Amino acid sequence: MSDSIPLGTITQEAKPCQLHPQSMCPAFGSLRVLTRIEGSHPVMATDTGCLYGLTFVTHFYGARKSILAPQLGTAELMAGQVVEGTRAAIEVAAKEPGCQIIPVVSLCVAETAGLPEEMLPKKIGNAEVVLVRVPAYAIHSHPEAKDVALAALLKRLGNATAPKEKKTLALLGEVFPADPLAIDNLLRQMGVEATITLPGRSVDDLRRAGHVGALAPLHPFYKETTAVFRSWSIPVVGGAPVGISGSYAWLKAVGTLLDLDPKLVNDVAEGERARAEAMLKAQPLSGRIFVTGYEGTELAYARLLVEAGAEVPYVSTSIGQDPLVLPDEMWLRARGTKEIVYRKSLEEDVAALDKYPPDFVLGTTPFCAIAKERGIPAMYFTNQLASRPFFLSTGMAATLGFINQTMKGHERYQWMHAFFEGEAADA
Amino acid sequence: MPKVIRDLSDSSSYWAAVWTMCAMPDVHVICDAPIGCFNLVATAVPDYTDAIPHIENITPSIITENEVGGSGTGPAVQRTYENLRSEGVLEGKHLIVVSTAESEMIGSDLSDLVTKLQPGTTFFHSESLSDDEWLGRDRVLQWLWENYGQDAAKDVTVEPGLVNIIGPTYGCFNAPSDLHEIKRTIEGAGGRLNLVFPYETTLSNMPQLAKAQVNVVLYKEFGHTLADSLGQPWLHAPMGMQGTTQFVQKLGELLGTQEKASAFIQQEKKTTLSAIWDLWKGPQSDWFPTTNVGIVASGTYVDGFTAFLGDELGMPITFASSRPLRPGELDNEGVRQLLHSSPPAFVFGSINEKIYLSEAGARYTNFVPAAFPGPIVRRAVGTPFMGYRGAVYLLQEIVNRLYEVLFNFLPVDSAYSRPSGNGALNGAAKPTNNKPGHLPGNLPWQPEAKALLDAALDRLPFLPRISASREIQMQAELAAQQAELKEVTAELIQAVLAARKN
Repeated sequence: MSDSIPLGTITQEAKPCQLHPQSMCPAFGSLRVLTRIEGSHPVMATDTGCLYGLTFVTHFYGARKSILAPQLGTAELMAGQVVEGTRAAIEVAAKEPGCQIIPVVSLCVAETAGLPEEMLPKKIGNAEVVLVRVPAYAIHSHPEAKDVALAALLKRLGNATAPKEKKTLALLGEVFPADPLAIDNLLRQMGVEATITLPGRSVDDLRRAGHVGALAPLHPFYKETTAVFRSWSIPVVGGAPVGISGSYAWLKAVGTLLDLDPKLVNDVAEGERARAEAMLKAQPLSGRIFVTGYEGTELAYARLLVEAGAEVPYVSTSIGQDPLVLPDEMWLRARGTKEIVYRKSLEEDVAALDKYPPDFVLGTTPFCAIAKERGIPAMYFTNQLASRPFFLSTGMAATLGFINQTMKGHERYQWMHAFFEGEAADA
Repeated sequence: MPKVIRDLSDSSSYWAAVWTMCAMPDVHVICDAPIGCFNLVATAVPDYTDAIPHIENITPSIITENEVGGSGTGPAVQRTYENLRSEGVLEGKHLIVVSTAESEMIGSDLSDLVTKLQPGTTFFHSESLSDDEWLGRDRVLQWLWENYGQDAAKDVTVEPGLVNIIGPTYGCFNAPSDLHEIKRTIEGAGGRLNLVFPYETTLSNMPQLAKAQVNVVLYKEFGHTLADSLGQPWLHAPMGMQGTTQFVQKLGELLGTQEKASAFIQQEKKTTLSAIWDLWKGPQSDWFPTTNVGIVASGTYVDGFTAFLGDELGMPITFASSRPLRPGELDNEGVRQLLHSSPPAFVFGSINEKIYLSEAGARYTNFVPAAFPGPIVRRAVGTPFMGYRGAVYLLQEIVNRLYEVLFNFLPVDSAYSRPSGNGALNGAAKPTNNKPGHLPGNLPWQPEAKALLDAALDRLPFLPRISASREIQMQAELAAQQAELKEVTAELIQAVLAARKN
């Protein structure tokens, strides 16, 4: 791991006014993780505006789960009923059929009022009650809240003293469902006996997490979660199976860490590299692309695009600079990326649009709208890329195929722009 | 026992303030908010309620640990203001600073600070910890009038024939269509449109509200306080055939255009509304008395649907739950239990009701979006619920969905269905001839078994019962044959019914 690399090595460019920071509500990341677990019935401690917005987006992304909350208005806050109300909501949640876990998501208002953990039950019936503190004023980005939520779950459910199953691996990251299958398939050919994916759909996977032989974070913002695994003396694989060189190095690293047969590992890694190279040759990428989402995975995507032949002068993300992102940052800077912005704002993205006019933008909805207003093809990073495989050669094929196809449609974007806002708009 | 919310239906007054003020292009709002309260209200949710990529005229103060931990939000708002000014964003704009639940939580009152910002800057204390979006919208409309309208309005004289529409704001379900239809209705009655506030005007124009002879308040939930302040007669926008007719007549009276109003009604009966007359005369209306309906929507829609579908067309209204909730109505807990046990043929509602129906596996129930929360595009102006066109659109929607029910649930020849998998979804039972040696013809049913079947069918909406009865019968008889029973027993039918629930 790269923990020892000092942060000061990279100096950031001077920033324009940061008026509109770009992140989904930070707490949303935690809800995505917590609502998707089977048998999980979250309780949200917060005000009604927050509750409305967060449940809205949670359902948009398919949670399809009834969500409970204590009423926390002026009357309840003045009467000091945060704990009492939360306990009442926990009791209702516990009655849901098949309830195994009740995450109590404590948000800005409840955190400001105070919600002491010792005042909540640890267990009710068969359900574990786990407090997850994600005040948006302190978390700053939505990916980082995924980390906070998962770490809280693991601290409660994981078994630190479990005997390790040496040839097993925990894949860490909220990824497209086909990705872990592809990764698992290759790893088994190398001699890995089992993998689990976190955060996933099963409470059992959280319980089993303490048994694994190693942890492989696929995304670079799971700081607290990684620390939990380290506290269990579980080693951590660096990098991620992204692109040709990234996948090759990652497979080798897993092999070394899990003490697998080097010959077998080498054969699989070589085979995968050959497939990835053939895939790239079949559909190379060209043109200038911005990767400007807020999912915390932007640098890895940029890396894949650069490897495929694209020019990526500008990358921005909602997460903070961190040693976990540094390898990707250095890799990108060595290959022509001019600006990498952490905790970015809309103003910084727009300034880059002027500076390096791109052929294609993967960004947030406000930024994509601005790009489309200029006739530049643009897609919402969160909705479009997270819904496709990304890792290994199969993920490369899916992601690059999609981007190639979109870029071919650039004339449509220009036509729309001309129709609505161009000189011919009045015609 | 403290109150527990299941699946919140109404947003807060902070959202109301932003969604009202930001609808006007000459306003810029600084929301005194952590990043999340800014993102949700200005981007993540309006993307999927109003289909706008983001609200551009709002900037957050970005409350962080520092502000919560003691420094207060004043410096952050000041900094935001200076940045906006230096970027030139505030030129020609009315700047309004709006409190949020979190800024209220830490007691941040910026009434003094705003006097030191751009002249004319105001502070709106949104009462977000106590008020819901409906009360919030009503209060902010009145507050805008008091701060930006009434003084200048003293010089404005009423012009006969002019009509204002008050409401909608962002986040009002189906607003573009309803607004379009209400404009048409007002003009039909002989009125001329003055302002559509706040949706289609500017804040600077607000004093001109005083010019209208009559005000039409689009929703029962908000806008009435402003309408009272304006001092002219006002009406609520209508739904249903009778409601709309009365509205046109009344507006005609108020404007002195009775003849025009009356002619409009007559003309509409021959044109727009003729579809309802034809559907009534046709076989479609025969279904209405057995097509039951549940409604979860704004009080405006609940009253309108109840009057039109219930009183005028004769559909049984199984339950109605208004937003905001009225005394005596089912809350979400009650609606959920009802939808789990006996869902009606049609449910108008939000994504919450959709979730409850999916939890219950209620595949015989038609869900029709009619309320937020829930992602939906309603930007086409041809899908109104209000006015005469709204009545036609609603009825057309219901009848077409009944046709869908017929297609989906009338029994089909099971020879075409796949031999495995969930054939029941297509209304097809599994083939019955896979047990060698079984005899053709009906198996006898124990009376208790038949009673259980009847009770199960009673809980289904009327139209799909035909197919469900045959389907359950075939499933039961198949199971009986496989178990080599000579008759269908109560235990067996219980097992079959339980299996269908999963």
